[in-house]
Amino acid sequence: MTGSAIASLRARLAALAIEDSGAMGAQAETGDETAPGTTQAAAAAPAPVAAAAQDRFRLFQMALLVFLTAVCVAPFAIVLVVSLGEPLPGKAWDWAFSGQNYTRVFVGLDWPDSTSFLYLQRLMWSFIYAAVASVVSVAFAFPFAWLMTRGSRRSQTAWLVFLLASLSLSEVFVVMGIDILLSNRSGLPMVFRETGLTQLLKDTGGFQWFRDMGLASPRNVRFKTSVLATVGSMSYLVFPYAVILLYPAFSRIDASMLEAARTMGARPMTVMRTVVLPQVRVALIGASLLLFVFLLGAYVAVTVFADPAKQTIAVSIYESVRGATLNAPFGAAQAIVLLVTAAAFLGLSTLLARAGGPRDPSH
Amino acid sequence: MTRIGWAGRAYMIWCTLFIAAPIVVVCAAALNGGRSMLFPPQDPTLGRFVEFFVTEEVWTRSLANSVVIALASAGLATLLAWPVAYGLWRSNSPLSRALGAAGGMPFVLPPIVFGVGLGFQWAFMGILGTLGAGIVSHAALHMALPLATISIGLQSIDRSHLDAAATMGATEGTAFRTVVAPQTLPYTASGFFFALVLSFNEFIVMFFVSASAYSTVTLQIFNSLRNGFTPTMAVGAITFILTAALVFSAVARFGDLPRLMGADESRSS
Repeated sequence: MTGSAIASLRARLAALAIEDSGAMGAQAETGDETAPGTTQAAAAAPAPVAAAAQDRFRLFQMALLVFLTAVCVAPFAIVLVVSLGEPLPGKAWDWAFSGQNYTRVFVGLDWPDSTSFLYLQRLMWSFIYAAVASVVSVAFAFPFAWLMTRGSRRSQTAWLVFLLASLSLSEVFVVMGIDILLSNRSGLPMVFRETGLTQLLKDTGGFQWFRDMGLASPRNVRFKTSVLATVGSMSYLVFPYAVILLYPAFSRIDASMLEAARTMGARPMTVMRTVVLPQVRVALIGASLLLFVFLLGAYVAVTVFADPAKQTIAVSIYESVRGATLNAPFGAAQAIVLLVTAAAFLGLSTLLARAGGPRDPSH
Repeated sequence: MTRIGWAGRAYMIWCTLFIAAPIVVVCAAALNGGRSMLFPPQDPTLGRFVEFFVTEEVWTRSLANSVVIALASAGLATLLAWPVAYGLWRSNSPLSRALGAAGGMPFVLPPIVFGVGLGFQWAFMGILGTLGAGIVSHAALHMALPLATISIGLQSIDRSHLDAAATMGATEGTAFRTVVAPQTLPYTASGFFFALVLSFNEFIVMFFVSASAYSTVTLQIFNSLRNGFTPTMAVGAITFILTAALVFSAVARFGDLPRLMGADESRSS
């Protein structure tokens, strides 16, 4: 097998998870790597002792499966069960088998008398933020991953440490940093004011454009709260992730093919278009999809940077489960809608990876 | 190998600055003498570090919680991941695959849904808001990371070593102890540290399972979000980014980071 990344394993695990839950009918082999131990281990095993050990291990595996089901799978099932419950007056709710919470998510509480698409609208904002941010970050990560993999293994390692460190930094710290960078007193608006850019914009009439875009108060530019700040901070959050996801595909580009193309007189842009792009196209789309799923659940950046009218379903889930509105079954129903959406896109990226797998030029 | 032109270098530098900017700003803000987050810092002092690590109980307690949960959950995640990865490596049986699927599920689906579900589950069991429930939650969430690294490690084992061991009469246990365990140790350690750093920084799942009974550093910062950030929180950010940089440098030093991240082994220039 080829050196597989956390990222590609993540995708593969997703495939397994989806298959297991039966959401996808196809029971095809998972990608390029199946457990290599099977045949050799069976051939090498001296019969009776090994068989006993094998049985013990199977028993242990079964026990482990019970435990993992309880902590890894059951929570999702519980969300589903709770989502069918009935809210009672006050803060309580009761077990039931009702679809009313889903009705409320899709068409509002008073349906069929009146319809409200409030929660679908929030889901739409989840989609918009996640889609734009994932595409933006992959677009910026593409040249970065390309340049990075042209360097020596040593420099690649250094870049990976840098990327992993910034990738793992908590959303709350990132939001804190961007919050300062956009703050009126010491961030970009201050820079605009102090450098005279604000005045220049006002003089030339460009300021009105910022006002129209909702990016300015009467006195100065203002980036919080705005769609730009939300999408920007979300792109920032996943940029290192995007590079890491693209890294395997880029590091496997055959250098000799590039040289051959060059020798035959192809210009750099032509090489990029005819040699590099076809080899990484699947990785680019796959990375965008994975980041999209990841960003669907983004929470801190949205609560801080998004306009109250443009909040996402993730924020709404929190409000129902722990926050102001307290309606657990309704929160659970929204969570299931988000879950199904995420699983559908994960399934799509897995199908894509499989379709693209055999064309992997290194094999 | 293609050489990187000046435009490429400029782009790399620009991206680096872009990634570093919020982090640098937060770190610098920790030096503020006053109560507000200004950049550049006013009246610089190191007093915030003393507050964060020593005097302010709310921060020392959260830091202790963060450390305990990160260490314990990463350890538990690695322990759980080992047999799962080993099973997948030995045989691709439905049981092994079901284990892999169950272990990877929380990590690939939106964490907010997993957090909500765990919140309900611990509440039904009457252990919502206990530290133990928090540790198990993070272990379940991050188990996919050691599972991934250990799987990569197992796949790197030279088959001929195992065959040689079997030929010379080694039992599976002996082969495991003398061949498998030593060769996968760096990968196991990497998985542990990945889980550790991610748990340290994780926010949303902990938010639902702690139920305000205790807080970690990230939770405490989020809770203070409405009242605005203070320089003491920035010290937390410095601590976290330094921890991550140290841990990943160690992983790079003792393991093969490019391979872990999916580079092609044949290109080891």
